[in-house]
Amino acid sequence: MNTILTVFKKEIIDSIRDKRTLWTAVLMPIFLMPAILVGSLKFQEYQLKQTEAKPALVAVQPAGKAPTLVDFLKSQPKFEIKDITDIPASIDAGTINVALEVPENFESELHANRAVKIQVKQKSSNIDSATALSKVQAALALFNQQRVEVALEQKGINPETLVAIVPTTVDIATAEERGGFIAGFLLPMFIVLFAIVGGMYIAIDVSAGEKERKTLEALVLAPISRLRLVMGKYFAVAATASASIIMSLTSLTIAFNLFPPTFGSEAVSINLTAPTLAIMLVIGVILSVMFAGLLLSVAIFAKSYKEAVNYISPFYLLAILPVAIFAQIPGLKPTLAMFLIPGVNATFVMKDALIGEYDLTKILVTLGSLLVYATIAILAAGKIYSKESILFRD
Amino acid sequence: MLNVQHLRKVFGTVTAVDDVSFEAHAGEIFGLLGPNGAGKTTTIRVIATILGPTSGTASVLGHDIVAEPEAVRKNLGVLTAEIGLYDRFTARENLRYFGNLYGLGGDALEHRIDELVRILDMTRFADRRAGTFSTGMKQKVAIARSIVHDPPIVIFDEPTAGLDVLASQTVIAYMKDAKAKGKLVVLSTHDMAHAQALCDRVAIIHRSKLIALDTTATILQQTHAQTLEDAFLHIVGESAAKLDEQAREEQHLAQVAKKKRRGFGLRFRL
Repeated sequence: MNTILTVFKKEIIDSIRDKRTLWTAVLMPIFLMPAILVGSLKFQEYQLKQTEAKPALVAVQPAGKAPTLVDFLKSQPKFEIKDITDIPASIDAGTINVALEVPENFESELHANRAVKIQVKQKSSNIDSATALSKVQAALALFNQQRVEVALEQKGINPETLVAIVPTTVDIATAEERGGFIAGFLLPMFIVLFAIVGGMYIAIDVSAGEKERKTLEALVLAPISRLRLVMGKYFAVAATASASIIMSLTSLTIAFNLFPPTFGSEAVSINLTAPTLAIMLVIGVILSVMFAGLLLSVAIFAKSYKEAVNYISPFYLLAILPVAIFAQIPGLKPTLAMFLIPGVNATFVMKDALIGEYDLTKILVTLGSLLVYATIAILAAGKIYSKESILFRD
Repeated sequence: MLNVQHLRKVFGTVTAVDDVSFEAHAGEIFGLLGPNGAGKTTTIRVIATILGPTSGTASVLGHDIVAEPEAVRKNLGVLTAEIGLYDRFTARENLRYFGNLYGLGGDALEHRIDELVRILDMTRFADRRAGTFSTGMKQKVAIARSIVHDPPIVIFDEPTAGLDVLASQTVIAYMKDAKAKGKLVVLSTHDMAHAQALCDRVAIIHRSKLIALDTTATILQQTHAQTLEDAFLHIVGESAAKLDEQAREEQHLAQVAKKKRRGFGLRFRL
């Protein structure tokens, strides 16, 4: 046990003195994850407010032919009527978002209670135009409704006879669920990412780094078994990656408390309660323990840092891609078998935890399978380190 | 103390060590000589248990290299040809780490490190990080690292490579001192003149095989040579030695070319 501790302590001190490890295992998770998560939520919030606050700029052409409609639109909140000459150019320039083309006889037809055909010109490739279109359509529907009501009342008919149902949409998602849905995309992916990246440089340093610095031979000359040597290095990698996950979750909790995300009038809360954090922490740590073994096993095949990075990159993609893909599928109901896929299973469990769902079976299957993979990874690393052809590959 | 019996080591199709046997005893400097690539380093690595023998065996103070590898390594101090240090550790920290790995610690280890710093004249840079060291400085720390546990047998592979005259003298003085203290010093080198001045007995390895094993004086006498270099050429034959060198150079070039081709193949596949 003593020699394992010696190796562990040496590797930890060595990596703390290494700027690369400091960047990827400490600074990146502390600042990057909160910055991206809080930042993207704040950005969405900002965008939402912007669209809500922006008035729809509308032109009615030919000018002066439809004063009733123009007066109605002017009376609506967040509508501005503009006079322009060239519709496409004005939409491109942003002077207007939508143009209404009315016939010459608009007013007379309207007062004769005949349906008037008008054209709503918009540009679907222009975001402002597309957003304004829905506002214009809503306003025009309201205009129609009001005209119909007036006409019916004039004839002594109750306007409600034309209406069968009045639907009102009510969002029953709790604030936690809304927040979990948003954070559920990014947060689990970051945890998986840091479980790999947090341990990546130290894993390279303790394996390929020993070859590059030519210290490996002196090290294996020491009277310590290869398995103990690997264990010491292994614990150092796992500890560093776990530390980076603990740090990133801590800084994230602080960031969400300082800048709570709000979405307009709808309350949104990111569910970083004690049990959720505990689940993410435990899963994050076991993930990094598992990836530590894989990283060590892969990196020892390399002779230098550069080569090791080349070896790890595809493996890194292989681990992160399924996570990214599964996280993007909306409303995916994972089967229990999917909780056996390392990385992906962690994402599912963390996503559930973020919306306040804890399914013990899924959590246990995830923990169990991750522990099995971690054990396999340690044993594989130990085996690989006993192969002389790998240690002295020229 | 060191007993090597019919040692063979094969890498794929290449036989690096072919039926090498010798014995070396306490209180002597034993030379392991031969041109570069003759198989000296592989022999040392097998004795030091970091490579397994294909056949044959060796024992260190009675401990078999296959049966008791850790006991063997505990009794050996091996200076490898590669002298890398941990760049982000000071000379002293490098030595402390290896001291710990050899089971030393506390005051005993600190005293030992102080002693080595003094013997190898490292006071000026002992507390600086190794990343800034010159080759000579690194070599001194590497030597200190190999003997930090004060082993009964030291095996030095090209110990004076990269050292200036003064530093070389320090290392030579250490070897003589170790011999005087009853340790076995195995000096592996291609520099025969150097070996002639130091070694009591020598084993000459050529093309993986042992071609001479005796006291330095006897070898010189038998070959009617003034120097070990002449003796070596006499034994293998001057023209044979030249042909050999050419063959080795060609083999090296072929290997490099093969590696390059493999590299291209890999790139295409990616």
